[in-house]
Amino acid sequence: MSLIPVNVWKPMRAPALLITLLFPLLAAAHDWPQWRGPDRNGISTETGWLDTWPANGPKTAWKSHVGLGFSSFAVADGRVFTMGHAEDKDTVFCLDASTGREIWKHAYPAELGDKFFDGGTTGTPTVSGDRVYSLSRWGDAFCFQAADGKIVWSGNVQTKTGARVPDWGFGGSPSIVGDRLILNVGETGLAMDPKTGAILWQSAGRSAGYSTPLPWKSGTEQLAVFGSEQAYVAVNVRDGKEAWRIRWLTQYGVNASDPILSGDQVFLSTGYGKGAALFKLGGAEPVELWKSKKLRTQLNGAILFQGHLYGVDGDTSESASLKCIEWATGTEKWVQAGFGSGGLVIADGKLVALSGTGELTVAPADPGGFHPTARAQVLGGRCWTAPVLAQGRILCRNSRGDIVCLDVRKL
Amino acid sequence: MKDLSLLDRRRFLRNATLAAGAFSAAPFIRAADPARKFRTALIGCGWWGKNILREAIASGRVKVVGLCDVDSGVREVAAEQVTDLNGDHPKTYNDFRELLDREKPEIVVIATPDHWHALQTIAAVGAGAHVFVEKPTGHTVNESRAMLHAARASGRVVQAGLHRRIGPHHVSGMAFLQSGAVGEVGMVRIFAHGGGGKERPSANSAPPAGMDWDLWCGPAPLRPFNQKLHPGGWRHFLDYGNGQLGDWGVHWLDQVLWWSGEQYPKRVFSSAGRPIAGPAILNEKEQTSDTPDHQVAVYDFERFTCVWEHRRFGENRAEKHAIGAYYYGTKGTLHIGWRDGWTFYPADSNAPTRHEDSQLQEPDGHNLRLLWADFIESIETGKKGVANIEIAHRSSVLPLLGMISWKTGRSIAWDGDKEQIIGDAEASKLLSRPYRGPWVYPGV
Repeated sequence: MSLIPVNVWKPMRAPALLITLLFPLLAAAHDWPQWRGPDRNGISTETGWLDTWPANGPKTAWKSHVGLGFSSFAVADGRVFTMGHAEDKDTVFCLDASTGREIWKHAYPAELGDKFFDGGTTGTPTVSGDRVYSLSRWGDAFCFQAADGKIVWSGNVQTKTGARVPDWGFGGSPSIVGDRLILNVGETGLAMDPKTGAILWQSAGRSAGYSTPLPWKSGTEQLAVFGSEQAYVAVNVRDGKEAWRIRWLTQYGVNASDPILSGDQVFLSTGYGKGAALFKLGGAEPVELWKSKKLRTQLNGAILFQGHLYGVDGDTSESASLKCIEWATGTEKWVQAGFGSGGLVIADGKLVALSGTGELTVAPADPGGFHPTARAQVLGGRCWTAPVLAQGRILCRNSRGDIVCLDVRKL
Repeated sequence: MKDLSLLDRRRFLRNATLAAGAFSAAPFIRAADPARKFRTALIGCGWWGKNILREAIASGRVKVVGLCDVDSGVREVAAEQVTDLNGDHPKTYNDFRELLDREKPEIVVIATPDHWHALQTIAAVGAGAHVFVEKPTGHTVNESRAMLHAARASGRVVQAGLHRRIGPHHVSGMAFLQSGAVGEVGMVRIFAHGGGGKERPSANSAPPAGMDWDLWCGPAPLRPFNQKLHPGGWRHFLDYGNGQLGDWGVHWLDQVLWWSGEQYPKRVFSSAGRPIAGPAILNEKEQTSDTPDHQVAVYDFERFTCVWEHRRFGENRAEKHAIGAYYYGTKGTLHIGWRDGWTFYPADSNAPTRHEDSQLQEPDGHNLRLLWADFIESIETGKKGVANIEIAHRSSVLPLLGMISWKTGRSIAWDGDKEQIIGDAEASKLLSRPYRGPWVYPGV
C-alpha cells in the first residue's frame, strides 16, 4: 500500500492565501469551526490583527460564563459554540460572536466527573454546514441545527455500542470526515451517519484515548487517526479497518494530544513523562526516526509551523514550559519556563499563547527565540484550554468557565 | 604504612573492618559497596509505586528485575518507563507469588492498596527480600502485627513509606519542638482538609481489558468494578482502605509519636459521617465511595491530647493552614505543614513568627529520595531505618483504632503493650476481618 498523505482540507487554503497575496494590507478573517481549527493543525489563517497591545491589554469585546470545563470554541457564521457544566448538567452554548449574547443553549444531565481534576466538559462542539455536533464525556452525542439549537438527532453512543468509558470520559471532539461523523469512542473509533445518527461501524476492546479523530488521506483512502489507550491508530473511515498502528504507552492510557501528520511522517507526544517521537510511514510498519523527552504534551497537541513544533512540555501537576523543537530532529530550540499547562494557537506566523494561569502573550513563531510583542493578564484560575483566534477576536476560558472575548481587529 | 603493597593494604583494611565488627553489637556491619545493585521488584505499578521506583533507580543502587501489577496495561507502561530510565528490562507479572518465586528479588517495593500489604510483605520477607511497603502497614491491626512478626522472624529490613520521618522541615520542626522554644505542649491538633461536595454514584462497568479484577480484590470483598475505585480511588472504599485518616492521618499521627516518644494512646474516640457526600451506595448498577466525608478522632495520651480532623468539603479559608499539625505550647503554637513548611506563632504578640520552608521533591511533594537512601543504609549497615517496621506498625495502628471507634460508635480503651482493646469483644473483632477465600488471614 502506498501512503501519500494529503491533507483533506488543503484545497480550502488556496483562496485564503490568494486573497492575502492580492490584498496584503487587508485583514483576512476566518472561521474556526472545530477543535484545532479549519485545518485541524492549530493554525489560524487570520491575518492583519493587532499583535501589539496597550499596557492594559486589548479591548474586551465581551465576557461570559458557561460553567465548569475545558471545552474550547468553535466559531462559524458569527457564532461561538462551546460547552460547560453546572449543577449536574452539561450545557452546549451558542453565543453571538460579537456580543456574547446567548442565541440558544441545550442542557442535559451529566456527571461532574471530577476525579483528580476540576471536572466538567472537555470536548468542543464541531460545526459543519448548518449543523453542530457535540459529544459528552459520558457518550451523549448530539446533532443540532446551528441556527436555532433544534435537536436533529441525539443518543448515548456508549450505551449503544458498549464501548468502555475511558477513566476521564470521552475527551475527543466530533470530527466530520467526508460524509461521516467520526468519534473517538471504542478502541479505534466509531462512525456515524451525520444526517441520522445511525452507527455505521464501531470498535471494541480497549478504551479510547482522548484525542480528536484526525482526518488523513492515504492515496485514495480516507483515514482517521485516533489516540487509543495503548496506541495511535489510523483506520479507514469507510469500514473501520486499521491501516497502521503505533504502539504508544502513556500512563493511565492518556493518549490525549492530537497526533501531527506531515508528508509521510507522524509526530506523537504525550505527557506523564512519556515524551515525543517522529515516525515515517509508507513501509510495512511505521519506522521511528527519533524519540525524545524534550516535549511531553499532556493535553493540547503541539503545533507544527515551518519545520518547528511549538507546544507545552510537562503535566498540569508540575511547572510546564512552552517549548520550540525542530520537527526533523527533535532538537530543542528554546524553552519558556513557568508557562504552565496552557495552550496556544498560531496565526499569521505568531504564537498566541495563553499561560496556565491566564496570561495571554503574542510572539513571533521563531525558532530563534521567544520574544513577545504583546502581553496581558486576561483571566485567572486554571487555563488549560488553548485560545482561539477567529474573525479578529481571541477567545479564552478557564476551568470555571469564565470566558473573555478580546477584540484584536485593526479597524 | 607508606611501603604497604596493594595486597597488604587490602589485608590491612579487611582486618581493620573485622576488628571494627568484633567490637560492634551489630554482627553484619561491613563496608558497603556503593556500586552494588540490589535485585529489586515492584508490586503495584501505579502512580505512587512508580514514584518510589524512580527514586530507587535514581539512587543508582538497584537493578529492576521484576514488575507486578494486576493490570497488564499498567505493568507494561511501567516496564517501558524503567527501560527509558536506566536500560533495565524487568520481567512483568500478574501474580506477586510468581514474581517472588522466579526473580528472587533482594528488595521488594510494595505499593498496592492497603488490603494487600500484609500478605505481600509476609510473602516477600519469607522469600528473603527486604521490603519497602507503603503506609499504613496493614488494613486491620492484626495484619500489621503479623507483618511486624514476620519481619522480626526473617531478620529482613522492612521500612514503610512514612517519608515525613526524614523530610527536612519535619526534622527541623521536631528539633525546634525539642529545643523547648514552643514551651510545654499540652495538645496537638492534626488535620488534612480539602474541597468536595455531594457524591454522585458512578455506573459499574467491566474492568479494563487486561485487568485481573479478582486478584486486585484478593483477600478483600469482590466489589463490582467501578472507575471510582481504580485507578486511584480505592482509599475511599472501606473494603480496601481507611479513608483520609488511614491515608493522611497516619503521617501526622506518626509525627506525634516521634515528637512525644509515647508508644500509644490509652483511649481513642472518633465521630464521623457523610452528611455532605451523602449515603454510601453499592448495588449491581452503581456505587459511591463509603468512607467518611469528615472525621474527628481524639487520642488520649499520657501527657497530652491529640485531635485529628478532616473535612472533604468547605475548603477552609478561615484558618492559615489546611494540612498538618498544630503543637499548642505554653510559649506559642508551632504549625508543621506540607508545602508550607513550618511556622511558629509565638504567644508573645511582640515576638516575630519564625518559619522554615519545606524542601520537597515535586510534583508530588514528598521526600522519598531521602527515605530510600535511609532504607539502603539500613540494609547495608544494620542501622534502624527512620521508618522501620517497629515504628511504622505503632503509627499505623492509630488510624485503624480511630476507624474501629467510629464503626462501633464508642470509645476504645487500648492496651498498647498487649495490643488489645480492653473490655469490648465486639470492637476487638474489628482488629481483624474475614478474608475472601482462598486467601487466609495472617496469624501472629
